[in-house]
Amino acid sequence: MCTHTRSIAPIILLSLVLVSSCGRGPVMTTEVVALSAASVPLDPNDRAWDNASEHLEPLVLQDLVDPRLTEASTPSLRVRAITNGEEIAFRIEWPDTTKDDLPGPSHFVDACAIQTPAAVEATVPAPQMGEVGKTVEIAYWRADWQASVDGREDSIRSTYPNASVDHYPFDAPSLETGSEAQKEMATRYAPAAAVGNRRVGKRESPVEDLLAEGPGTLSRAAQTHSRGKGLRTEAGWSVVIVRPIPIGLAPGARSQVAFAVWEGEHREVGARKMRTGWVPLVMVK
Amino acid sequence: MARVYNWQLGREMSYWYPENRPQKQFAAVFDINKCIACQTCTLACKTTWTSGKGQEYMLWNNVETKPYGFYPLAWDLKLLEKLEGQSWSQREYEGRAVNTYEGRTIFEAAPPGERVLGWKPDDQDYSYPNVGEDDCAGEIEKGASLQVPHLNWFFYLARICNHCSYPACLSSCPRGSIYKRPEDGIVLLDQSRCRGYQECVGACPYKKVFFNPMTGTSEKCIACFPKIENGLQPQCFVNCIGKIRLAGWISTPEKARPDNPIDYLVHIKKVALPLFPQFGLEPNVYYIPPLHAPASFLRQMFGPGAEDAVKTYRAAAQDQDLSGLLGLFGSTEMVISRFRRQGDWVSGINESGAEVVRVPLKEPVVIRAAFDKLHQITRTNCP
Repeated sequence: MCTHTRSIAPIILLSLVLVSSCGRGPVMTTEVVALSAASVPLDPNDRAWDNASEHLEPLVLQDLVDPRLTEASTPSLRVRAITNGEEIAFRIEWPDTTKDDLPGPSHFVDACAIQTPAAVEATVPAPQMGEVGKTVEIAYWRADWQASVDGREDSIRSTYPNASVDHYPFDAPSLETGSEAQKEMATRYAPAAAVGNRRVGKRESPVEDLLAEGPGTLSRAAQTHSRGKGLRTEAGWSVVIVRPIPIGLAPGARSQVAFAVWEGEHREVGARKMRTGWVPLVMVK
Repeated sequence: MARVYNWQLGREMSYWYPENRPQKQFAAVFDINKCIACQTCTLACKTTWTSGKGQEYMLWNNVETKPYGFYPLAWDLKLLEKLEGQSWSQREYEGRAVNTYEGRTIFEAAPPGERVLGWKPDDQDYSYPNVGEDDCAGEIEKGASLQVPHLNWFFYLARICNHCSYPACLSSCPRGSIYKRPEDGIVLLDQSRCRGYQECVGACPYKKVFFNPMTGTSEKCIACFPKIENGLQPQCFVNCIGKIRLAGWISTPEKARPDNPIDYLVHIKKVALPLFPQFGLEPNVYYIPPLHAPASFLRQMFGPGAEDAVKTYRAAAQDQDLSGLLGLFGSTEMVISRFRRQGDWVSGINESGAEVVRVPLKEPVVIRAAFDKLHQITRTNCP
C-alpha cells in the first residue's frame, strides 16, 4: 500500500506542474532561469516579468550557527530573473501578513537578500555566507530603507507620533541652523553616524551590497552597485533587486544563487532568518 | 563554549570565549546607604553622552527604588524567573569559608540556538523609568511614625554598565562588535561594526545596552573612557552629591592589595558585593548593601556575603581604615589607585604615586554664629 502511494506521488506532482503551465499562471521551473532581454526592469509591477518563468523555493531555518532561528516562519519564496547581459534582475515575492518597516527596541524589519559566489568557479563557496577564501556577494534589501526612499520622514515621530522632546543640544539658539557647528554637535550625539555606519534614516537606495567569508564576517562592499525596489502586495512583499552579473557568468552559463528572508514580526534579524541553500541559476542565451 | 574561572561564583563556568583578563580592570564601589536618588548622576551622564536623536529613552546611568523600581520594567525579575531558583553552598578551604554557586549561570542555562539566556525588552518596558519610586515594600499604617528599625523598607539602586569580566553582550554578538579593552577592561561597542541585531540588548541581564532607533545601532555606557584615560573618574561619579561612588581598579582575589581601595573593600573587608553574581558575568560594580533591607532580599541580589557585609559596614566606625577609605568617596575627581591612613588622616594616591587628596577621619565641627558680623546679616540655619 505504502509503495503504491509513493509510486503515484510523482505522477500527481507532474500533473500539477503541467496543469499550472497550461493555464494563465507562470511557467514553473526547478531552477532560477534568467530570461534574456534588452533591459532589466526595476519595478516589481513591470509587465516584463510576465515573460519570465517562476521558481518556487522552499525556505529553511537558519539553524546551523548560533544564534539560530528555532521556529519557522516564511515557508517559501517565488523568484523570477531577467538579464540584459550586464545586469541581472531578481524579483522575489514572499507571503507576509504584517508590514514591519520601523526599527526600534525589539522591533525588527522585513528584509530579503540575494547571495551569489563572488566568482563563478568549479568549487562553490559554502551556502551559509561563504567561507574563508571563497567570498560571496550579497545584495540586501530592507523595508525601512524602502520606506525612507519612498519619502518617510527621518524623525523619531515616524516611530512615535506623539513623541515630545524638550531639547536637543544641537537645536540650541546659539547654533545657526545648518551650520557646520550644528552638524558637528548633532554628530557628537550620533556615534554610528559619526563613523559612517548609520543603519537607519534617510537613504537613497533600499539596497546595500555586502561581502562575506562565513557567518559573522559580513562587511559592506566598497561601493553599492545594486539597485532595488520593494512593494507591498496583498499577500506580502514583492522586491526587485538589480545587480551586476557575477564575474564569469556569461549567457548560457550556469551558476548558483541563494536567498534569505527576514520576517520582522517574528523578530528575525541577522542570523535569525529563513534561508535557502544554493539554487541553480541558468542564464538563457 | 570555553571553561573560565569566575571568582564570584567560586568555580569554573562555561563562557563563549576563553578566559582573557585585561591588564587592569575598571571597577567601582557604590555605597547604597548614602544614595538619595537625586538622579544627578543620571543627568550628568545624559547631558554628556545621550542627548541625541534616538537616545531620548536611554539611561546609561539610572537610579531605581528597590523592590518595586525597575528600568527597564522588571529587568531583574524577568531573568530571575527564567533562571529559576538556584542555590549556593559553603565549604571550608584553607581555614576560611568559600561560597560556591551550585546553580546555572545565564551562559549555562542558554536555550538551544542561543548563546545566553536572556530576553529583549519592548519599547513599552522603557516607558516608566520612575516606576516604583519611593514605594515601600509594604504598606505603612495611617498614623505611623518613624521608628528604628524601620516599619518598612526600600532602597535606591544606582546602576551603570558593570564592565563585566565575562560580558554577556560581548559573547552574544555574532559579529564580534563588542570588545573588552585590554588596557582597562572597559567594554565598548564598535559603532562602525554594529548592524543593530540587538542580540546584546537581549543578552545583557542588567539591560545596559540600548538600541538607537535613529542610527540603527546599539549603544552602551563607555565608563567615560576619555576621562579614565586621563586619570579622572567618570561623570556619574564626580557629579554624585551623595558621594556614594568610588572608581578604581580591581585585582583578582589572589592578587588583592590592601592599599588598593577597591581590593580592600571587595576582597579584604568583603563589604562591597557584585550585583546578581549568580548570572555569571563577574560584574565589576560592587555595592555596599543597604542596612535596612531583609537579608533574604539582599542575598538574592548580592549573593551569600550580603549579611556579613552589612555587619562589617555597621561596625565601620570602629575600623579607622575602613571608615577613612569611605571618607575618600567623592573627595576628588581623580582616580585613586592607592590609599593610606596616617593617624586621623587618609590620603588618596594616584597611579603615579602622587597624593591627590587628603581627608580627615572626622570632619571638624564648625558652629556658625547666627549673626554674620562681616556681612551684617542674620543667617537662617536649615534643619
